[in-house]
Amino acid sequence: MISRRALELATAVLTGSFGMAVVVSSLDNGIGWSSAGVDAGTFPFLTGTIIVLGSLYNLVRGVMPAATLASVPIAITSIELRRLAGLFVPAAIFVAAIPLAGMYVASALYIFAVLAIPRQQSVPRALGMAAATALALYVVFERMFQVSLPHGALAAAFGF
Amino acid sequence: MDNLGELLHGFSIAITLPHLALMVIGVLLGILVGVLPGLGAPNGVSLLLPLTFGMQPVSAIILLSSMYWGALFGGSVTSILFNIPGEPSSVATTFDGYPMARDGRPTTALATAFGSAAFGALIGVILITFLASWVAQVALAFGPAEYFAVYFLAFASFVGMGGAAPIKTVVALAIGFAIAAIGIDTVSGSVRLTMGVDELVKGVNFVVAVMGLFGIGELLVAVEEEFHARAVSSKIEWREVFRAIGRLPRHSVALLRSAAIGCWMGITPGGPTAASFMSYGIARRFSRRGRYFGTGEVEGIISPETADHAAGTSALLPMLSLGIPGSATAAVMMGGLMIWGLNPGPMLFVDQKDFVWGLIASMYVGNIVAVVLVLLTVPVFAALMRIPFVIIAPLIVIICVVGAYSVSNSYLDVVMMLGFGIVGYLFKKLFYPLAPLVLAIVIGDKAEDAFRQSMLMSKGSLGIFFANKLVTCLIVAGIALLLLPLVLQLARLWRKPASAATETTAQEAAREKVTI
Repeated sequence: MISRRALELATAVLTGSFGMAVVVSSLDNGIGWSSAGVDAGTFPFLTGTIIVLGSLYNLVRGVMPAATLASVPIAITSIELRRLAGLFVPAAIFVAAIPLAGMYVASALYIFAVLAIPRQQSVPRALGMAAATALALYVVFERMFQVSLPHGALAAAFGF
Repeated sequence: MDNLGELLHGFSIAITLPHLALMVIGVLLGILVGVLPGLGAPNGVSLLLPLTFGMQPVSAIILLSSMYWGALFGGSVTSILFNIPGEPSSVATTFDGYPMARDGRPTTALATAFGSAAFGALIGVILITFLASWVAQVALAFGPAEYFAVYFLAFASFVGMGGAAPIKTVVALAIGFAIAAIGIDTVSGSVRLTMGVDELVKGVNFVVAVMGLFGIGELLVAVEEEFHARAVSSKIEWREVFRAIGRLPRHSVALLRSAAIGCWMGITPGGPTAASFMSYGIARRFSRRGRYFGTGEVEGIISPETADHAAGTSALLPMLSLGIPGSATAAVMMGGLMIWGLNPGPMLFVDQKDFVWGLIASMYVGNIVAVVLVLLTVPVFAALMRIPFVIIAPLIVIICVVGAYSVSNSYLDVVMMLGFGIVGYLFKKLFYPLAPLVLAIVIGDKAEDAFRQSMLMSKGSLGIFFANKLVTCLIVAGIALLLLPLVLQLARLWRKPASAATETTAQEAAREKVTI
């Protein structure tokens, strides 16, 4: 279970650290005025500073028990968290598998795993849908629109 | 009228068989992404974008804008039939549309929605027809300082009128700016903000950001709440369709007011979502039957729908004539314009007459095509909604992954897209507005260039932003919009009767809803 406050804090920390990274990185390009006008790092430096300041404000507001926050104390319940993970974790594994298995094989496996493992569909139907997805991707992208999707390291090893 | 002649010429370009076919395809695809939760007009358009690179610009924009109309209409279908807004901008339509459909009047609700939506779109297109080249002529007098002032006004109006918490809007904007700055700097040629990752030199493509923010982000929001999709009868009774449309003129006040709100919010980048909520709120306050709102009132459907479509349509006006997109979808389309080698902005009306007037004429035709198709396809899409979410969700993930990869054949883009998905989910959950973020990613570096060029011209003096009447007005208006939320808050603190405290909480909660 994640409280609204914790979520606000985490997001503020996330945006704030992105802002810090922008500020630090922009210093390399120089900030201020030179013979070529405004230096390249100035604008990113300013936006980075605004992000940091805004995140600090949101952080403080998140800590303080404001009226709007109190009205929704729980942002994500444990059931919702499980549902979120149920969608995101397979998606992340799918993306991680693309360099090795290639887009077609990975997406077919992904569809099959998502449908068959939680017993949403019977195994033959899940197999059929997985094959149909990969085939549709191949026909639309590789054939119709000549966009080459990654075939993966495995396919390369087999000489495709 | 000069414009009318140009418009007739435009019709001769738009009404050709291949272009009509493109409209039908675009509208159908648009209705599809509008109906599907998790896919919206911005990423529908960005998905199609790579496929248009080989086309004539005018054919490409007709395809994309038809998709846009389709998505606007499609979003209302699921709002009314299932209480699931397919698009953020049709959230307000659920308030009265769903109760009316549940009462056994789905046909009336749908016909009213489509009729008023078409009216809103028509007003938006007429506005574009008569104002576009005028706005463009004024804009021709623009120098870097004026451009920066307009960008500034656009950004400021998000902060002042967007409805979200102002500081969150500022953070979202600034993050967008920082993302836009990643890669090679166009003024000095130096490499910025890559943090040591060589692949980032090309910058972060806005398609990647949009796919993650809208596609994956919305999917995560959708999967979190269980769907209670309860279908109502989706059979269309044709006689009732005409009767409902025939009743529309009785609500002409609501229609005109909502269209005006929509046009204003479309031109200033308030966007369709804010426009529909604002229009619904105002209608509830001023309608004689205001207290029945929420139980299936006709005006409760008319107001958000008219404003939504008027805003969606007129959002294309600043994109075409100034190069400033009024909505996220317009921002994506503008990216397309640049890829096709067109330069959005005043010169478009001089250099690319066929393109501009072909597009404007296609808006009239495209909207008629969209109304007809959307009425015909309601039963089909209602059947689609019966496909369980567990099957739709992985398909949307695959579409986003493939879309992000195919932008520039980069695996890093896919990983970034997933990252943007988490950011999109967090931002939606905590009411950070996404539209300013996307806006800043698309035009952030243009605003920066304009600022730095004007600084070069003035040798570093900020006085150039107050050098003439036009630029001063724009800058002052921008500053006023920036400070508006602050002033309102101070005014509220100043009065602050104890009894009003509960009301402000309710208002704030309502305001947070607006920014979804």
